Amino acid sequence: MTQLPLGLRVAAHVGASLVLAFLMLPILAVIPASFNEARFIRLPPEAYSVEWYGAFAVDQEWRSALWNSFWVAAWTTLLSVVTGTAAALGLSRLPQRLNLALMGLFLAPLIVPLIVTAVAIYRTALDLQLNSTFAGLVLSHAVLALPFVVINVGIALRAVDETWLQAAAGLGAAPWTIFRTITLPTLAPGILGGGVFAFITSFDEFTVSLFMVGYQTKTLPIKIWEAVRFEFTPAVAVAATVIIVLTILLFALAMAVNRQQGEART
Amino acid sequence: MVTSITYDSGAQPLKGKRVGAPFSARYLGGLYPALLVAPAALLLVLWFVVPLARLSSLAFSGEEGALASFETLIASAAYRQVFLNTFKISFVVTVVAVILAFPVALLLSRLRGIWFVLTLYGVLFPFWVSLLVRTYSWILLLPKNGPVNQALMASGLIEAPVQLLFNNTAVVIGMTHVLLPYAILPLFARMRGIDGRLLQASDGLGASLFDTFRYVYLPLLLPGLLGAALVVFLLALGFFVTPALLGGAGALTVSTLIAGFVTDRLAWSLAAAGAIILLAAVLLLLVLFRRLLPLGRGGWAA
Repeated sequence: MTQLPLGLRVAAHVGASLVLAFLMLPILAVIPASFNEARFIRLPPEAYSVEWYGAFAVDQEWRSALWNSFWVAAWTTLLSVVTGTAAALGLSRLPQRLNLALMGLFLAPLIVPLIVTAVAIYRTALDLQLNSTFAGLVLSHAVLALPFVVINVGIALRAVDETWLQAAAGLGAAPWTIFRTITLPTLAPGILGGGVFAFITSFDEFTVSLFMVGYQTKTLPIKIWEAVRFEFTPAVAVAATVIIVLTILLFALAMAVNRQQGEART
Repeated sequence: MVTSITYDSGAQPLKGKRVGAPFSARYLGGLYPALLVAPAALLLVLWFVVPLARLSSLAFSGEEGALASFETLIASAAYRQVFLNTFKISFVVTVVAVILAFPVALLLSRLRGIWFVLTLYGVLFPFWVSLLVRTYSWILLLPKNGPVNQALMASGLIEAPVQLLFNNTAVVIGMTHVLLPYAILPLFARMRGIDGRLLQASDGLGASLFDTFRYVYLPLLLPGLLGAALVVFLLALGFFVTPALLGGAGALTVSTLIAGFVTDRLAWSLAAAGAIILLAAVLLLLVLFRRLLPLGRGGWAA
């Protein structure tokens, strides 16, 4: 690659660093804000305290929102990973044309603007009286999480080596044994990666949830939304910090899985 | 030579002697492909396709005729203003995001080793943090007595605090922040694919740095630039969280308008018509420019 003159290289580095700072720093701004002492949130805080962490931990509404988010995300992950993995497997063996058409269907939730999906699902849920229910929320999140599972497992499928399957069959292994001992282990990183994506998609989901949740099924993002609009206590920043810390943990997990998958492929 | 089953191989007949049951049966544990696809397809049809179809039919069920809702939306100057504003915001966000993405993508395409990994993680990390949290940060940063205004005043750029929140400025800042990684990744992918020897050849033939950039690098990069712009623009058009939180009544977009129809006015027919217009705009752009999208094999989705 051609070497750029020093001046341009410095400019590119400085420019890129500034943009990266723009990308990262605002996200981290909520962390100091969560240590506010005051009743109303201020940045930078005038005095620091962990008071609001305590308040967050004992507040019934925040706790149930966090709990709801976890449950919805867990069921969404289960539903989308099971159906999505099966779908990715099936897709790989379907005739090309059918494969393409179905892939379009599976990727559509990524393309249709979320607000359109949200309003559409909400209307049908209203008619079926499934709005405000746990099941309605899980179904909606699963629709949005499914593409990520199908994509991730689809990529992992490329690592399944035909020669192993032939060898196993030649040695007399039954189809189910082959699936359990070869296909599934090879797919594991892809399934796990898709699962992490699915969990985060649900845990994070806002637009569809805003319409679909009821008082009993309020998730964390919706509770944050309400708190941002109607109260201005640092409890919101605490919730945001909790989410960021959880995210960093999941991010690390996903990266570790990703690395493993990369090594498995080479 | 080792042949492996590729994901796209579809129904191509497998070479070699077949032993026992059909190959695919072995590989899938004896289950039928169509049966495996069915649960997920059913979920999507029942809880995504059918709801979309039912919503579409609502748009044409206005009391004053099938197209009444569309007429209302188009005839009203206020609604036209909202559509225009959405376009304007999306356009500005797209231009700013692509410009900001350029140096980061350039750096990514040239870095190696640990610095490359760290920078890439820096770009990917925001993807993982709750959209709501990322947007909420700006509510803390942009008020009149907030850090951004204080920094601007300290630097002497402004004399009095300016209104940065609950208007188009806030929406553009917040949306650029959220959509920037979507611009960086396709741009980086394209830059990495450019053959460095072409630039060396241009250099060796005596072209100035600017000429090499203008006549060799930029044309090669153009699909990446346009692809990044298209992704950002498509996402910006239908974006809901940022305008809802940072724009408020001061910066309505199509998405917040649709939500308002449903929650505040229960005007389902208008909401459905707005949704159809938005969806049609997105699909039209997608069909017109689909070649630019980095969605193909080994795209950025990985």
